[in-house]
Amino acid sequence: MAGASVKVAVRVRPFNSREIGRNAKCVIQMQGNTTCISNPKQPKDGAKNFTFDYSYWSHTTPDDPGFTSQTQVYKDIGEEMLLHAFEGYNVCIFAYGQTGAGKSYTMMGKQEPGQEGIIPQLCEDLFQRTGENTDPDLTYSVEVSYMEIYCERVRDLLNPKSQGTLRVREHPILGPYVEDLSKLAVTGFTDIRDLMDAGNKARTVAATNMNETSSRSHAVFTIVFTQKRRDQMTSLDTEKVSKISLVDLAGSERADSSGAKGMRLKEGANINKSLTTLGKVISALAEMQSSKKRKSDFIPYRDSVLTWLLKENLGGNSRTAMIAALSPADINYEETLSTLRYADRAKQIRCNAVINEDPNAKLIRELKAEVERLRNLLFSQGLQELLDNAVNNNNNINNGPGGVAGASPSPLQLALTSNGITPENGPAPPGAEPVSEGDTPADPDQLIEDGEEREEGESTENISKEEAAERLMETEKIIAELNETWEEKLRKTESIRLERESLLVEMGVSIKEDGGTLGVFSPKGTPHLVNLNEDPLMSECLLYYIKEGVTRVGQQDVDIKLSGQFIKEIHCVFVSETNEQGEAARKSVSGGHSGAVSRSRDLR
Amino acid sequence: MAATQQEARSCARTPKRTNMASFNKIESRNDPENDPFRSKYKARELLREIYCSAGLRAAKLGAVEYYLGVNHVDTEELPAGQEHLMNCMKLLERCRVSSLNVSLFIHVRNQLGILWAGRDETETAQGFLETAESIYQRYMKEDGSPPTDMTEYFAAEESLLTHQERIKRFELAYTHTMYYLAQVYKNLGQTERAATYCHTTLQRQLQLNQFTPMEWALNAATLSQYYITKGRYMEGRHCLSAATVISDLAGEVPSEAAAQENEAESERREHLRQKRAEIARCWIKYCLNLLQDAKKQLEDNIGELDTDRQEELKRARRREEEEEEKGRKSALLFGSEDTFDSIASIEEKVMCLFPLDFTEARSVFLVGQNHVTQAKDYFQMDGYVTDHIEILQDHSALFRSLAFFEEDLERRCKMHKRRVDMLEPICNDLNAQYYLMIRRQLMFELAETYNEMMDLKLALANRQADTQSLDNHTIKKFNHLCSASAKYFQMFLDSLCSPEGKFPERLEEEVLRPALVARFRVARLHSRFISTSPTVQLDNLNKSLENYKYVVQYCEANPEAGATVETELELSKEMAGLLPLKINRLKARMASNN
Repeated sequence: MAGASVKVAVRVRPFNSREIGRNAKCVIQMQGNTTCISNPKQPKDGAKNFTFDYSYWSHTTPDDPGFTSQTQVYKDIGEEMLLHAFEGYNVCIFAYGQTGAGKSYTMMGKQEPGQEGIIPQLCEDLFQRTGENTDPDLTYSVEVSYMEIYCERVRDLLNPKSQGTLRVREHPILGPYVEDLSKLAVTGFTDIRDLMDAGNKARTVAATNMNETSSRSHAVFTIVFTQKRRDQMTSLDTEKVSKISLVDLAGSERADSSGAKGMRLKEGANINKSLTTLGKVISALAEMQSSKKRKSDFIPYRDSVLTWLLKENLGGNSRTAMIAALSPADINYEETLSTLRYADRAKQIRCNAVINEDPNAKLIRELKAEVERLRNLLFSQGLQELLDNAVNNNNNINNGPGGVAGASPSPLQLALTSNGITPENGPAPPGAEPVSEGDTPADPDQLIEDGEEREEGESTENISKEEAAERLMETEKIIAELNETWEEKLRKTESIRLERESLLVEMGVSIKEDGGTLGVFSPKGTPHLVNLNEDPLMSECLLYYIKEGVTRVGQQDVDIKLSGQFIKEIHCVFVSETNEQGEAARKSVSGGHSGAVSRSRDLR
Repeated sequence: MAATQQEARSCARTPKRTNMASFNKIESRNDPENDPFRSKYKARELLREIYCSAGLRAAKLGAVEYYLGVNHVDTEELPAGQEHLMNCMKLLERCRVSSLNVSLFIHVRNQLGILWAGRDETETAQGFLETAESIYQRYMKEDGSPPTDMTEYFAAEESLLTHQERIKRFELAYTHTMYYLAQVYKNLGQTERAATYCHTTLQRQLQLNQFTPMEWALNAATLSQYYITKGRYMEGRHCLSAATVISDLAGEVPSEAAAQENEAESERREHLRQKRAEIARCWIKYCLNLLQDAKKQLEDNIGELDTDRQEELKRARRREEEEEEKGRKSALLFGSEDTFDSIASIEEKVMCLFPLDFTEARSVFLVGQNHVTQAKDYFQMDGYVTDHIEILQDHSALFRSLAFFEEDLERRCKMHKRRVDMLEPICNDLNAQYYLMIRRQLMFELAETYNEMMDLKLALANRQADTQSLDNHTIKKFNHLCSASAKYFQMFLDSLCSPEGKFPERLEEEVLRPALVARFRVARLHSRFISTSPTVQLDNLNKSLENYKYVVQYCEANPEAGATVETELELSKEMAGLLPLKINRLKARMASNN
C-alpha cells in the first residue's frame, strides 16, 4: 500500500574463473539478513555491516546449507510480487549491481532446470496460475513491452519500425505512458521468452552500433496483466490492470555523467564532475532544505525518464523490490561497498506525496466550546455523576481491554447498550462503499453562486487549431488502442515479429528454423560469428553464419551488416571452402580491420 | 615560457650543485650548537631551489601522471588512477607554487576530490579541495599573473596560449573547485555553505561569461527555491529576477508555424517553452511562500488576522525596509553592467517583505497568478497531468492565502469557491490507480475547502441575523457544504482501502495523521448538520459518535498513534463520552413526543 517501503535484497555470487585464477579472496560474509563486507586493505579496520530484508548467500554450492538457490530467491521475492499483481497492485523489481556481479543470473538465470532466474520463474508461475483458472467469468490477458532508456531517451526494443526516441507523456486516465511503445500480446511463457530475447538482441545491436555499453542504459520489461471479470447479473465487465515492471538498472554510476540523473536514490556522496550538472546539485540542495519542513518549493530539475515512468512504483499504489548483485572478490571491494550503500539507501525510499493539512485550530476551539457546553448542560441537569462515570469508563478503555471487560455495568454502559452500541464492539465498520469513478455528478442542487472574481479571473485557455488537431489525434490513437480486440492484438504482435525477424535476417543475423531467435543454438559444423559483450545478457545473442563461399562483412551491400562507428563499408571478407572430407575449412581474407570485429569470435 | 625553460636549464647546470655537495659534507661540522642542523637546512633549501628550477620538468612529469590518473579514473580503475594522481602530488610537493604549475596544483586536487568523494570519504575530498581553494587565493594575492595551462607543457612554442585564454582556463578550473566544494559541503550536510558555493559558482559563470543562458537561468531559479524555503526572500527574488533576465538572452520562442516546418526549431520551441514555464513555477512558489509566511506572522491562535499584530508589524516595517534592502543587497549580486538594471527593474515589480494587508497581499497574489497562467500554458493537463495539477494546487493555495487577508466574508467565500471549481472536476476524473496520491491530496483539500466555506456561510448568516432564525435557503446551503466536506473526507478514507475494499487495520505512517484527522473531522461535520427532524438528528449524532470512537479505539490499539493526534484524540475521548448522553436525551425527547 501507499508508503510501503521498498523491499531490498542483496545476493553474492561465486567467484568467476578470472577471480579464481587471480586467487581472489572473498570479502563478503552473511549472517541471517545481515551482510558484512571487510576491507581487504585494512583487515583490522573492522568490517561494515548492512541489514536488508534478505541477504542471499550464493557464493558456495548447493551442498552448503547456507546456500540460496534460484528457487528460494523467487519464492521470497518473485512470488510475493506476483501475488500482489493478482491483487491489482503495480509491482516492480529492480536489479542493481556492477556489470558482472551476477545481476543477469538473478534476473534471467540460465536455461537449465533449477537455474532460471526470477523473470522466467515469475512468467511461468503467472501462466500456470492463469491456466488453472476454471471460472468462466474470469479471463486474463497478458501484454508485454520492452524499452531501453539511454541518456534519457526511450527506445522501443520490440518494434523494429520504431526508430529514434519515444515521447513520454501523462494521461489523466491512462497514467504515465510512452507514446507509441508497442505492447505485444502474449499467450504463454515461451512468447515472453522470445520477446525478451528479441529485445535483448535489439539492445545489443543498438549498443554495438552506437558504441555504447549496456552498463549505461536502463532496460524496462513490462508485463501488463489484465484480469477481466464479467458480472452475470449485469453483464458488465470490470477490469483489474496491474503492471509488472522488471527493471535492469544501469550498472555503472557513469550513467549519470551524461547529465542523466538516473535514479534519484543513486545520489550518494558522488561528486558530479561537469558543470552541466550544477542544476542537479542545486536541486538536491533545495530539496534537502524543503524536506525538513513541508514541501513548499518547486525544483525544476526534471525527473529522469525512468523515475518518472516508475513513479507509481516508488511509493504510491505499488509494491517494489530491489535486488542488488554483489561481487565477492576483494578486487571489487570499492564498487561492492558502493552497491551495498546504494541498496542501503534504497531501504529508505518512501513516497513523498504528503497530505498538506490546514491548521484546524478554529475547529478545535469550537469543539472544545461544545464539550464545555455539553458538560454544563449535563451538570445543570444534575447529571454530573453520570458524566464522571462516563469519563472513568473512558479511562478504563484507555487502560486496556481488561478495563472494559471487567467494568461493572455503569449507568452509562447501560445507556450505551440500549443504543445497540457497546464499547466492546471493536472499531466501527468503515464507511460507505468506495465511491466509484464518475459516480459523483455535479450536484443539481448546487447552491453556491458561480460568482466570478472578475479581477482575479484567469484567462480562458486558448489552444490553436494545430494543437487541437494534435490532441485529437492523440486521443484517437488511445481510443483505437483501447478498442483493439485480443485477436487484433495478437495479429499485430505477429506482424511485428515478422518485421523484427526480417530485419535481423537482413543484417545477416541467423534465425532458428522455427523462427525463434533465442540464445545461441550451437550450429554444429557451420562456421559462424558471435558477438561478445561485457554484459552476459547481451553477449552471444547475435549469431552470424558464414556460408559456403564468400561472406562479406561491412556497412552496405554485404551479407553481414554491421554499422558501428569503426566499421568500414566493406570491412572484411570470409571465405569458406569445403575440403574433400566434407569438413569446412575456412580462411579469413582481407581482415585488415579485424580489430573492430574483435567482438566476434568462435570462428571454428 | 621559452625564457623560463631556458632559465630552468641553465639553473640546473649551475655550479651550485657541486658546491652544495661539499658544503653539505664539510660545513655541517661547523654548525653552532644551538642550531646543529643549520647547514642541513640550508642544504635542503638549496636542493629545493634546484628542484624548483628543474620545476618545469617536475610539472611536466606531474602533468603526465595527472593525465594518466584521470584516464584510469575514467575507465573506472580507481586504485590505479589514485596512484597516478598521488604521484603527481608528490612531484608537485617539492616545488613552490608558481605561475608555471599553479594550474596543475588546482587540477590534481580537483580530481582527487572527486575520487575520494566517490568512495564516500567526503572529509578526505574536502581536504584536497579546500587546499586547492587556498592555493588559488594565495596565488591570486601574491602573484596573479596568467598561469601556464597544462596543455602548454606539451605544445609547440607557436601554439602557446594567449594571456586571456590562460586566465579563462585557470579561472574555469577554480570554478570547478567551487562547484566540487559545494557538493562536498552538501554531502556533509552543511547546506548553508553549499548554497553559498553554488551561488559563487553561478556568479563566476556569469562574470567569466562561461554559461548557456537558459541553463544558467534555470539554475538561478532553482537556487531561489533554496532561499525561499529558508525564508530569505530578498535573495530568492534576486535569483528569480536574474533568472528571468538571463533566460531572455536565450532568444525568442520560435513560432508554432516555424516549429512545424523545421525539426530543430520545433525542439527549440519545446525547450524554451518548457524552461520558461519552469521558471514561472519557481516564481509561483516565491509568491505563495511569501504570502503563507506573512499569514503565519499575522494570524492569531485560531488562524484569523490579528489586527494588533498587523499594526505592530506595520510600525516595524519602515525600519526593516531600509536596513534590509541596504545591508543584504551589497552582499550578493548577480549580473554585469548591462543586466544589472533589468534585474533590478524586475525586482521592483514584487515585494520581498511580508505583505501586511489585503492590497499588498493582492499585489503578490496577482504576480503569482500571472505566472500560473504562464506555467499552465505549457504544462497542460493532457500530457503533463502531474505538473498541471501541481500548478493548480498552487493556484488554489494562492487563493487560500489571499482569502486570509480579505475582510469581506462574502468575497472570501467566493475565493474558496474558485478553489473548489478548479480542483473538483480533476479530482473526480483522474484514474485512481495511477494518481492515487494526487487524488488523496485533492480530496483532503476539497474537504477542507468545503468546510471553510461552510464556516464562512454560517458566520455571514450569523452576522445578519441570530442563529435561531436561519432562513431555509441558508440552512440548505450550509448542509450542502457540510455534506460535501464530509463526502470528500470519506472519499479520502475510502482511498486507503485495499483493492478488496477493506479498511486497513494498521495505517501507514504517512497517512496515519491525515486518516485520523479525517475521521475526527467527519465526526464533527456530522454533528453540525442542521435538521429539525429528530430522526435525522439522531442518525447524524450516531455517525458522529461512530467516528469519534474510531479515533479513540484506534489509538488504544496502536498507542504510538496517539502522539500524532494529541488534541484530536483528547477531544474525541470527551465527545465519545458525552455524545451518548446527548443521544439519549434526544431519544428520550423523541419517545415523549411520540
